[in-house]
Amino acid sequence: MRPRVPAERYTGASVRRVEDERLLTGRGTFVADAHLPGMLHAAFHRSPLPHARIVAVNTEAARRAPGVVAVFDGAEMTQMASPVAALGAAPGSGGPVSFGILAMDKVRLVGDPVALVVAESRALAEDACELIVVEYEELAPVVTVEQALDPSLPAIFEELGGNRLFGPEVKVFGDVDGAFARADRVVRASIHQHRHQNVPMEGRAILASFDASSGQLLVRASTQGVNTTRQMLAQQLRMPLDRVRVVAEDVGGSFGLKFGASREEAACCAASRALGQPVRWVEDRWENLTVSGQAREESFEVEAAVTASGLILGLRVQMVIDSGAYPGFAPLVVDIVREMIPGPYRLGALSFSSSGVVTNKASYVAYRGPWAAETFVRERIVDLVAQELGISALEVRLRNLATRDEPPLRMVTGPSLAGITARESLLRAAEIVDLARFQERQLRLRDEGRYLGVGFATYIEPAPGPRQEGGEGNTEQVRVELDRDGLLLVHTAQMPHGQSHRTTLAQVAADEFGARLEQVRVMVGDSQQTPEGFGTGGSRFAAMAGGAALHGARRLRGKVLEAAAQILDLAPTDLDIWRGELVGPGVPGGGLPLAELISRIDLAARSGQLPPGVDVDLTATEDFDGGESGWSGGTHCCVVEVDPDTGLVRILRYLVVEDCGDLINPAVVDGQIRGGVAQGVGAVLLERSAYDPEGQYLSATLMDYLLPTALDVPHIEIEHLSPVRLDPDVNFRGVGEGGMIAAPPTICNAIADALSPFGAKVLEQHLPPARILELIGATSA
Amino acid sequence: MKLPPFAYRAPESLEEGLELLAAGEGEARILAGGQSLIPMLALRLARPSLLIELRRVPGLAGVHEDGSGLRIGALTTELVAERDPRVRAASPLLFEALEFVGHPAIRSRGTVGGSLCHADPAAELPAAALVLGAELTARSLARGTRTIPARDFFLGPYTTALEFDEVVTEVRVPAPPSSQGSCYLEVSRRPGDFAMVGVAAAVVRGGDRVLDLRLALSGVGDRPRLLTRDELELEGQDSPEVLFGQAGRSVAARIRPPEDLHASAAYRRHLSRVLTERALRTAFERAALQGGAASA
Repeated sequence: MRPRVPAERYTGASVRRVEDERLLTGRGTFVADAHLPGMLHAAFHRSPLPHARIVAVNTEAARRAPGVVAVFDGAEMTQMASPVAALGAAPGSGGPVSFGILAMDKVRLVGDPVALVVAESRALAEDACELIVVEYEELAPVVTVEQALDPSLPAIFEELGGNRLFGPEVKVFGDVDGAFARADRVVRASIHQHRHQNVPMEGRAILASFDASSGQLLVRASTQGVNTTRQMLAQQLRMPLDRVRVVAEDVGGSFGLKFGASREEAACCAASRALGQPVRWVEDRWENLTVSGQAREESFEVEAAVTASGLILGLRVQMVIDSGAYPGFAPLVVDIVREMIPGPYRLGALSFSSSGVVTNKASYVAYRGPWAAETFVRERIVDLVAQELGISALEVRLRNLATRDEPPLRMVTGPSLAGITARESLLRAAEIVDLARFQERQLRLRDEGRYLGVGFATYIEPAPGPRQEGGEGNTEQVRVELDRDGLLLVHTAQMPHGQSHRTTLAQVAADEFGARLEQVRVMVGDSQQTPEGFGTGGSRFAAMAGGAALHGARRLRGKVLEAAAQILDLAPTDLDIWRGELVGPGVPGGGLPLAELISRIDLAARSGQLPPGVDVDLTATEDFDGGESGWSGGTHCCVVEVDPDTGLVRILRYLVVEDCGDLINPAVVDGQIRGGVAQGVGAVLLERSAYDPEGQYLSATLMDYLLPTALDVPHIEIEHLSPVRLDPDVNFRGVGEGGMIAAPPTICNAIADALSPFGAKVLEQHLPPARILELIGATSA
Repeated sequence: MKLPPFAYRAPESLEEGLELLAAGEGEARILAGGQSLIPMLALRLARPSLLIELRRVPGLAGVHEDGSGLRIGALTTELVAERDPRVRAASPLLFEALEFVGHPAIRSRGTVGGSLCHADPAAELPAAALVLGAELTARSLARGTRTIPARDFFLGPYTTALEFDEVVTEVRVPAPPSSQGSCYLEVSRRPGDFAMVGVAAAVVRGGDRVLDLRLALSGVGDRPRLLTRDELELEGQDSPEVLFGQAGRSVAARIRPPEDLHASAAYRRHLSRVLTERALRTAFERAALQGGAASA
């Protein structure tokens, strides 16, 4: 086999996305596009109150309303499906809480589903929802962390005995007391990350269809992984796994929201089973913004032990996470934040305390780079240290970043830092932005009353992270098979919802197998044929699924060459598969198309012409853990101008220098980075999931929850560093989350730099114009 | 977010529309471009029994110009008005305000009459109409035709001087004096959003002096109000720069801005001062370009 030169490979080229033609010409199929005969429509009657006991639910008028087929209240739903057990309540904290699919005894947030109406159309279902009368006994709302820790306020879950969900749990790494004893100075800050949220174009949605004859539930889902959705639905509906089939077609974004099955989705499945008719629910934007889930609300008390020269010896961090009403993902996040907070820095000591509370707000969900607070807190603290010491922030970063030739190349919390290029990315970003020249210009413009600022943030992202003790078995499985048409089918549990998996996985498999790109089909989204695996998340695709596809294609290629050699009586080493044909000296006609080769192998196997031991099962299943390549990372740099009269921030330049290993498809990688940065721009300048002091949700429309538009997102310059290749084969790494992890601290650092002449201290992530004027003292807070 | 039930009619004559509106006894609503009304229906904040769409009625859309100013049909879309060179030439302030209304896609549906009648306190066109001294022509079966000056039209949030059975058919915008310069400025969270503060300003210039000025602000109260030199209690003798500073402070002292998710009252007050000064200064400079400097 001859080695391929890069120009002959798909991998590494910006090949055109196979998804685009369908999606851009309106031929995508989302749940709202799916119809079944006899399909009914669901809508939920939802709580207008954040916290109340339910005294009575009267659904009489709704049941009689035009077009209504059925109404289910919480008590009825409990007969139809098991309650949801929440993840993560720590042992000893009152035990894990559980709650109904619909609210029963009480409501815990504005929008809590109280009753499900199934009708002939969504509009009729909504009309009927308005006829449901619920009698409530109002309880004091618990809206803030302070209120959650106030024992005089009512417990949201009585079984918790209060509103503390877990903690404080303290873990210590290295000699923290020693670090603080040696410090010349302790820099302190209270840093807050505000609540904001995933806003996928397609909200949550489901079409549940129970077939009474076969006893099978067929679910069309909008999900990040069909297996996880199947498992949760089977559990809640008390059905055996084999009776539940989950199929996902196009998924209109998610960013972490669509794992498993939500309460509403389970309710629709239960209703379909009870009625024997298909039931569809497509969340509307009010529901999506108000109840689907929110993220990021975390606060940190930080102390940094530093030397006069800017070396950060140790950190003491206290983190509190606001888990919202129904506990789920929050406890997992604090563990990752703790582990990741040293980042690519030589931090020698860390004390980390974590607590979680429940409040009467939307439940905490994963959102692109869920643990991003570690980068926000660290990169803000680095700048604050620089400010207090009067050293440049670049200098402080360079003094503290780990270097590859200096042991121990390991975070104080454990993970190896092998292969990181954080320092190179920072140096390169400073070079591109020409920091010295920028700073001259900055000073000159200040004299004209113009305030420019530059900010950096350096980060690493587990994508999927280095191999760790106890991490065995954390793999992605890919099954590669050849069908009779000579198509290479690549089955993965990854569930594309904007990531271009159908293109990029095909690129990897095509190259390794020797197929043409159009001969590869990436098969996703059907629990009857999807391999094991929880789905897309945690930047697992490139290294883990990409690696499994590579190894699977390699093994299958070996099998095909072996069988072909037997048939043609040639040596396997003389054969090659190239652009979908068997080639090599002695191959009849100079090339044998795969389809023809497969039928010849099949015929030979059937007629016993092959010696025993030749494997003619033309499939290969591989599990892969991501290999030696663990980290993505880089440095973002942003230049802003702040108008001190209006508080408006203009992003003049945005630069990303990054390393996500070998690029499978540079255009796709850049798209992932740009999308993440756009969401970071939104987080800092626009997006906030706001509640009033009474617990009413204020950001329930897209006029109030402000997403960045094309007019708000700057041009983003991207440079890719050449990676350190540690694995013999697989040096791709995930790149989905880094943009969103690094953009908020980068932009905040730039704004803080611009505001430094005013003595303003930036300790929060959300900086709308009104807040900027408060920070510089132009208006009162 | 599905619309509540309602009846829908699209009559072919204005008379028929007026009959339907009168028969609705306040429960019927005129549907123009639908850029505000439809979202309000989707959120079930409005529940009219009948929507009357006048798109089949001839003569309600179009821009006309004569020596005395512009006549803009109520159903003229904001985009058509914005792109009409006569609007830009005869009323630069209206043109500038139109550019701040939503995005082109919204302006291609939204209408000039619809925006004025909706009377959102943060909308651009009501403030511009006040400064321009616009007049609205209203028709009803009961009262026939009457003319309502913009300064009498806006009564409160989403509330106008229109009776329930009246329809605005036309907006008249008088030609500004040749020595007048104008400027519309606003700050919103994103381009295309409603203003946190918007300022429509017109300055009549004589040489290096300000002969007259008019202002109206959006986003800072229950409705836009016309503010003149007298109402702002400005001293006439000062230099324009001092006068504009005074005007900014006077505006900030007079308004009672709301507080919401996007801006505190203090921020809106501050911004009102900043934008008033900026808008007046720009209007004054533009007046010079239009010959105001020579007329002293």
